[in-house]
Amino acid sequence: MIFLNYFLENYNKILRLSFQHFYLFIISLIIAIIIGVTLSIMATEEGKEKMGKLIVSITGAAQAVPSIAVIALVFIYVGIGAVPAIISLIIYSLVPIVFNATSGILSVPQSIIEAGKGMGFTRNQILWKIKIPIAIPVIMGGIRSAATIIIGTAVVASVIGGGGLGDLIFIGLKLNKPEVLFAGAFSSALMAIIIDIILAWVEKTITPKGLKARK
Amino acid sequence: MIELINVTKKFDGKVAVNNLSLNIEKGKLTMLIGPSGCGKTTTMRMINRLTPYNKGDIKLNGVSINKIDPVTLRRSIGYVIQEIGLFPHFTVYDNIATVPRLLKWDEKKIRKRVEELLDIVTLDFNFAYKYPLQLSGGERQRVGLARSLGADPEVLLMDEPFGAIDPINRLKLQDSFLEIQEEIKKTIVFVTHDINEAIKLGDKVAIIKDGSLVQYDDAAEILANPANKFVENLLGQDRSIKALSLKKTKDFILKDNLVTVSNRETEREIIKKLQEKKVKIAFVLDKYHKLIGRYWLEKSKKKEQVEINFDDNPIFTERNNSLKETLSIMLESGEKILPVVNRKKIFTGIIKLNDIFEEVNK
Repeated sequence: MIFLNYFLENYNKILRLSFQHFYLFIISLIIAIIIGVTLSIMATEEGKEKMGKLIVSITGAAQAVPSIAVIALVFIYVGIGAVPAIISLIIYSLVPIVFNATSGILSVPQSIIEAGKGMGFTRNQILWKIKIPIAIPVIMGGIRSAATIIIGTAVVASVIGGGGLGDLIFIGLKLNKPEVLFAGAFSSALMAIIIDIILAWVEKTITPKGLKARK
Repeated sequence: MIELINVTKKFDGKVAVNNLSLNIEKGKLTMLIGPSGCGKTTTMRMINRLTPYNKGDIKLNGVSINKIDPVTLRRSIGYVIQEIGLFPHFTVYDNIATVPRLLKWDEKKIRKRVEELLDIVTLDFNFAYKYPLQLSGGERQRVGLARSLGADPEVLLMDEPFGAIDPINRLKLQDSFLEIQEEIKKTIVFVTHDINEAIKLGDKVAIIKDGSLVQYDDAAEILANPANKFVENLLGQDRSIKALSLKKTKDFILKDNLVTVSNRETEREIIKKLQEKKVKIAFVLDKYHKLIGRYWLEKSKKKEQVEINFDDNPIFTERNNSLKETLSIMLESGEKILPVVNRKKIFTGIIKLNDIFEEVNK
């Protein structure tokens, strides 16, 4: 009951911090997608397949690095505030995006690319009309895990002044008020679930029908 | 049409194609055959500039292909590979429309072309809105062929297009491919490692070994006069039988010394006719000359008498069958003489086992 009371009494505050949290999330995700997908496209160009494979193994291993380590490093070099928080979120979420996008593009069957080339697709047409559409489900998988990771990590980023729902959690911790802590944790978890549902819908919508076709 | 002039290709210093010259004729189906790694696929891929060559030149209609933009060149040449490489996210319609769309044809013209091509490869228009994942191997192969013909290119390059198909469907696809080629008369370069396929399909066969051309000639000429031991080995032990698949049954039809009867004649009349001509078989034809039965004489167990037998569903061969196919019908049925009919089952004559044997011994 005490949780619910806190929720109702601090409705505005929680909403404000949620917006702040969402803001951190959406800025970081968009920039991470742009950087990550661009990197993957560059790493998977014809003739650079070895580099692509290297990137897949590096990003695969980098997923084991704890988020707090990245945040601490950015804090040391950039300082505190929303910007360092966003920078650390971008860096940390790049890993799943680059890992999935690169392996997704690399897994497009060579025969399909070869056929496209042989029929006179230009380099760009091969990328945008063949590689990307076929790799879309895998790329979207990376974006979905990046989204979840950003929402979770943004909580931790509040220690370097990023703001957002992490503030509630740390305040609750310091003041020994579980209802405050719970409000922060519950809201960020809810946000993660809603965002994932939305992204799942986006994925379903933009995945070409033919890739899901059954006899 | 396509001239390869002293073309050499090296991969990391290793010679893949060595000073190869080949003149591919317009409207002909030219087979490139050789063991794996002999450079046949590389040779084909150089024609649409998927693989650049180091020395020599390739000319298409007299123009060096290096003077043509590779993308433009490839849009003007049909291309089929063994894995087919249909775009899984495109419908059959969109796959076939690929090159016309790259060339910015108008949609009405594209639709007409897609309908026409589906008809050529004997697929119903219902297939147009299916996806490649919903098709069988043979259907995919047909769509692949239709796609390569999309913008009606003069030249087709085919890299083992039937290689991944099971043997029975492969024969069917080869047959319909030959019929399609009779209609479209494209200049086709066809890579294969299957000598039977090369002989069956090829107007011309180019045999390649270690990147060099060993022999280039009509299929019949290669069977009759292999240039060396390598070609002989490639052709195998049964090359006189293989030669039979080049010959058509219709060229060996006999029209005299045979007895045809109508279904109104009595057995006694038929026996008399057969004994006069000293033959043992009479073919029964209806008024349209359609083959409807067969009588044959057998020595009776009773001395000095003959028995006559009737068969209302006689074994026959079609005039467009190859001698090899006719021979195998004979060997399976144990008949030494077969009636030859056309596709409407009209009787056109007979063929004898002895004549086929003589052909083998030539």
